[in-house]
Amino acid sequence: MSDKKNNFFLEEYENEFSYKKNKTNLNIEFNRIAFIFFIFLAISIIYSIQLLHLGSLKKVANIIKPLIPKKNYRADIIDRNGNYLVKTVSSIDIGINPIEAIDKKKLLINLQLIFPNKNYKEISKKIKKNKYFYFEKKITANNYEKIMMLGDKSIKSEERLTRIYPQKNLFSHIIGQIDDDNNGISGLEKSFDEELKQIKEPLKLTVDTDIQFLIREELIKFHSVFKSKGSTAILMNVNNGEIISMVSYPDFDLNTRETISDINFINRATKGVYELGSVFKTFTIAAGLEEGLIETDTEFLNLEKKLKCGKNIISEYDKKIPSDLTVEQILIRSGNIGAVRIGQKLEINKLKLFLEKIGVLSKIDFDIEEVGEPIPFKWGKCKLATVSFGHGITTTPLQLAKGYAIIANGGFEIKPSLIKKTLEDNQNQKRIIKEGVSKKINEILRKIVTTKEGTAGLANIKGYEVGGKTGTAEKAIVGGYTRKAKVNTFASIFPTSNPKYVMVVLLDEPKTSEDYIYKYKNKSGSYKGTPFNTAGWTSVEVAGKIIQRIGPILATKYIEN
Amino acid sequence: MKKVVFINIFILILATSLIKNSTKEIEDKIFTVNESIRSLKSELGDVLLEYNYLSSPDKLTQYQTQFFEKNLIKIDITKIKKLTEKDTHIEIGDFVEKKKDE
Repeated sequence: MSDKKNNFFLEEYENEFSYKKNKTNLNIEFNRIAFIFFIFLAISIIYSIQLLHLGSLKKVANIIKPLIPKKNYRADIIDRNGNYLVKTVSSIDIGINPIEAIDKKKLLINLQLIFPNKNYKEISKKIKKNKYFYFEKKITANNYEKIMMLGDKSIKSEERLTRIYPQKNLFSHIIGQIDDDNNGISGLEKSFDEELKQIKEPLKLTVDTDIQFLIREELIKFHSVFKSKGSTAILMNVNNGEIISMVSYPDFDLNTRETISDINFINRATKGVYELGSVFKTFTIAAGLEEGLIETDTEFLNLEKKLKCGKNIISEYDKKIPSDLTVEQILIRSGNIGAVRIGQKLEINKLKLFLEKIGVLSKIDFDIEEVGEPIPFKWGKCKLATVSFGHGITTTPLQLAKGYAIIANGGFEIKPSLIKKTLEDNQNQKRIIKEGVSKKINEILRKIVTTKEGTAGLANIKGYEVGGKTGTAEKAIVGGYTRKAKVNTFASIFPTSNPKYVMVVLLDEPKTSEDYIYKYKNKSGSYKGTPFNTAGWTSVEVAGKIIQRIGPILATKYIEN
Repeated sequence: MKKVVFINIFILILATSLIKNSTKEIEDKIFTVNESIRSLKSELGDVLLEYNYLSSPDKLTQYQTQFFEKNLIKIDITKIKKLTEKDTHIEIGDFVEKKKDE
């Protein structure tokens, strides 16, 4: 009974299977073959499309070769307005390998037709020597076409990359030099060596070519007036540290690729370490205001005419300076003894801390490597006294500009820079000096320029509200100082009501001029000859002339900034 | 049902290859355009270099002394005026405000 049941079940299953097969009306074997064929077809279609595409890609790649060869490539450098300061251009040199020449006479005649002005006696000698020589360097496109049309195997072309400096000397210290192996050896070429070899877009700087030119022109003019050993000027935006101009004179033409060994060609703006004198009094007074130890109207009574500290005697440079002075008057009249008294009130730690905060005591972190290091010294009672009026302490003009910028901008930290940054990078400024100190100092700096007692009247250029402090320092020699060699500095800010720029002008070892005619700014009339070899009669005059020339550009061109 | 699936797969494969092909064509065009831009950029760079050299302050001063009899003058900023457009008229004012201490 049970066997019967089993047989019946199997039959029913077979029937069901064959029924379904018939219903689809498709043969499973045919389906499999069709499916595989279809897959192969699809793959072959995709593959053929890919092949076609790759073929087309190769064609394009052959037509357009990469224009920038990797070897010896360096990115261009432009100023803040997009003007080229450095550009890498490719040039073709033509050489001749006489051994490969089929007919040397015919070759000479053909060359004479294309380049009629060459000395063919010399060229004929070179061909006879059978040694490879350069026939024409940096050939023009037109002549290149003509010479290659000759089809002579002996004519060889070599593509080279050359670095061109269209502004010649103007940015020599900033840009720096490269060696024959395409490595930067000074300036930005050295400090941005790797970046310049890798980046495709030009490196944009903060400097302005027109302003740099005008400042350099004034420095050259006064170099011959005051017969100085060298000079430097830095113009910087006080709010973001962007350096608009940085000139150090004497300079050199970058296109000539000379090896500079004369120390007089150093970058005085960043590498020169100087005792800058009275320009430091501004820092002493700012430190006193910051600590709340003094106010601008705080009086110092019965100030001595001379002070003895160890072996040294500290005295006033101007014997007419009164014995009773307010803090404001000390800065305006540049009183040494008054500055010493403020320094003594501050004591070593507070003055040292302030100078460290504004970055004049230690080596500055800057975009180029040619940076001088302020000479370290041991603080003591006498050192405190001399540092208070800017002696026995050294720094670079760049650091001086930074210090003045911080004091002028409301007390915010800035980092001097030559590389143009985005707006975001310039934000998030940290306050390092208390609010209010800046306003008080700016007002006094303005009075130094506008008042009769001030030492910088020659910089009172109408319309720019110039303020600043002078510094005349004798150069240190073994065992003391020499009166023959001075460093005259003027650190200025403008406009003082809302400072935008700081400008430092330094003259290295200027002499008095007998013929130069000064035109008074605060009153009518003129004066012939330099009466004193002080900053007030030398670097202030230079700064005034510079501001007169660059002022309209700064006021109109950078109005939005 | 299977037929529909097969046809769909076939259409998808075909569409994918066609789209991919057309994308490649666009990529080719972009590549060609980019290369053309690069060569144009290089040409522009050379022209700009020439322009920068010829219009550099140094050259302009040289041309000025060479071709003009009169010297260049300094602009007194206090004489520059500022024009402000109002609804009905244009207002003329000083470019820099005069300060008491000047």
